[in-house]
Amino acid sequence: MQIGTSQFYATGASQLGKLSAQADTLNTQIATGKKITAPSQDVVAYNRLSAIKQANADNTAYASNISLAKSLLQQSDTTLTAVTSQLQRAAELTTQAANGTLNDANRKAIATELQSIRDDLVNLAGTTDARGQPLFAAATGKGAVTQAADGTVTFDGTGEVPAIPVGDGTDVRATDSAQRVFGGISDGKGGTTDIFAVLSTYISALNAGGTATATAASGTAATAIQSALNQVSDVQGSVGARAARLDIVSSQATDAAGAREVDRTALEDTDISTAIVDLQKTMTILQATQASFTKLGQLSLFDYLK
Amino acid sequence: MSDLLGIGASGVRAYQTALTTVSENISNASTPGYAKRTTDLREIAPANSLTANNATTTGQGVSVAGVTRAADSLRAADVRNASADLARSETGIAWLDRIETALTGNQLGDRLTGFFNAAKAVAADPTSTTPRSALLEQASSVANSFTATGKALNNLDADVDATADNAVATLNTLGASLAKVNEGLGRVTPGSNGAAQLADQRDAILDQISAISDITVTTDSVGRATVKLGNAGGPTFVEANQAANVTFARGTDGTVSFALHTQQAVSTVTPNGGALAGVIDGAARIADARTKLNTIATAFTDGVNAVQAQGNDLDGKSGAALFSVGTTPTDISLSLTDPRGVAAAGAGKGVRDNSNLANLDTLRTSGAFEANTTALISSNASTLANRKQVADAQSAIRDNAVAARDAVSGVNLDSEAVDLLRFQQAYQASSRVIQVARDTLQSILDIH
Repeated sequence: MQIGTSQFYATGASQLGKLSAQADTLNTQIATGKKITAPSQDVVAYNRLSAIKQANADNTAYASNISLAKSLLQQSDTTLTAVTSQLQRAAELTTQAANGTLNDANRKAIATELQSIRDDLVNLAGTTDARGQPLFAAATGKGAVTQAADGTVTFDGTGEVPAIPVGDGTDVRATDSAQRVFGGISDGKGGTTDIFAVLSTYISALNAGGTATATAASGTAATAIQSALNQVSDVQGSVGARAARLDIVSSQATDAAGAREVDRTALEDTDISTAIVDLQKTMTILQATQASFTKLGQLSLFDYLK
Repeated sequence: MSDLLGIGASGVRAYQTALTTVSENISNASTPGYAKRTTDLREIAPANSLTANNATTTGQGVSVAGVTRAADSLRAADVRNASADLARSETGIAWLDRIETALTGNQLGDRLTGFFNAAKAVAADPTSTTPRSALLEQASSVANSFTATGKALNNLDADVDATADNAVATLNTLGASLAKVNEGLGRVTPGSNGAAQLADQRDAILDQISAISDITVTTDSVGRATVKLGNAGGPTFVEANQAANVTFARGTDGTVSFALHTQQAVSTVTPNGGALAGVIDGAARIADARTKLNTIATAFTDGVNAVQAQGNDLDGKSGAALFSVGTTPTDISLSLTDPRGVAAAGAGKGVRDNSNLANLDTLRTSGAFEANTTALISSNASTLANRKQVADAQSAIRDNAVAARDAVSGVNLDSEAVDLLRFQQAYQASSRVIQVARDTLQSILDIH
């Protein structure tokens, strides 16, 4: 078969062009560190990378929710500890007040201290959280509790604040309503009351004077305060459990993110050592092709026609 | 002795022509479409008269019968077919590549993910307006992304039209040129240099036409080409000195078509190769991508607006629509500007509720907008990857066809060098014959 001169050059140009393109592709892969620059280069990898990217973005959103929920639970825990110590002091005072040797003046002094404990509890109930919202807010209503001019405390709104999403299909309730923390205490007559009403009634009883009244009221109040303490302790336990659950969710998310990163690297990142070896191979072939092309191109019968 | 002079003179003339042909070959060694030519030499037979018809009668020298073009019509047809197949794939690849850029350039999938994740932040802090504003920003970038992707596809349509118009204009020019070449071929003497030149032009034009559309070519005895677009049953584009006119049209439904107009009739062209077929493929792909994108856009805007309507905003009012849709499904704009308007709460559940955002998450799963966007890009990408492989194979087939054709018709400088030497020697020898003839005659004249 005869090779046309023009064809010889065309073939040479096309071969050298292909090798240069191959070297350029490898060079780009090494320089960018990415094997895939367009979906069409590897459709399967592109699909998986899209899913990984989406999961990573979800993970970031969930991580910020987890950190917010953790801070809210932490704040709940601190506030509930303060509530517990106030209630414990109130419980001690009921024991003191029940003592028959006290006179009315002594009991008034106890009543004054109880009043300040009650004020503290109202303040604690109205604590503001990291978001600027009442920490013990219900689903509805403006604040957590409202104190009327006569000192009566009412719970704002009803229902528990909905849970915060912290993972796919996983959500955690970060706060509890004031009703759940301070209300729902048995009034001993089959109904329920709240800690503020219990303290108000008790303070009035102590101020009213009379040992018999005070002793009887102290007994009732002691039972109610104890059940309030138990309730706060339950809530605090639940807060702790939820914080522990967040830790698990968060560490699971970190593990999953690590696994995804391994997948992503395998799919997307250039294997530098292989790429460099490939590049070296391509360059060697390119140089050899250039050399042989030049040699063949020099051959011409016209050189011998003198 | 006079015939000896005549024979020498005929040799000089013949080899001069032969040397001219070789020089022509050498100077056109890299001219595209040039087929190697050879000079046909023929002995001048002795006159067949009664007196001359004896054993000692010799010939009268050499003459040039014509110029032969080293061409193989079958191999040329192979090259044309392979070129048409390759041009179709390459044109298609160019469009698929641009569709890929149009679909991925605006990062629609990422924007959708960002939107749904912004809703998660609102769920964590429903009463604050900051995450709500962030959600509206994300909603706005989703809307922009849909709009920009839709526009990018529309621009591709405009480019397809421009490409098709250009291809058709080139095709018509080539058709007219071929008709002129045909006319020329009808007039020149077969076997002449002129005929070879016109045949070169004819084949070059046919090669160019085959890059635009697949063709079926038949040639008559003098080399005039009759071209049918598509297979042998296709409409006649060029016959003798008549060329038809091809037009491009885009229907109201967005489909593209080509028609061939002659003075007698209009017929439909169905190209199966060349750039025209690539244009039809590309237009179909763009239309397909747009349909799928519109489906995603409509499902997304309707779904999100429906979720908004189910819930209450921060002021306890029923949620207003988040997106409004213009003339096309991807022409999306944000109709809600107040961050308080995001309906995070379930109906009547209070300002701190976030249960309606869970509906948005359900919509994300059921609507699978991100997965559908990825699928749309993937389906185009896998077609593109596949076409590239096909094009690689077709490129190799075309290269082989070109090599096979050029093995017959290409100029090899080394063999031309050999021919140059051969004819030079023959020329010099013929001059010597003239000299010998003169010397011989002179020797008789010198007798006293």
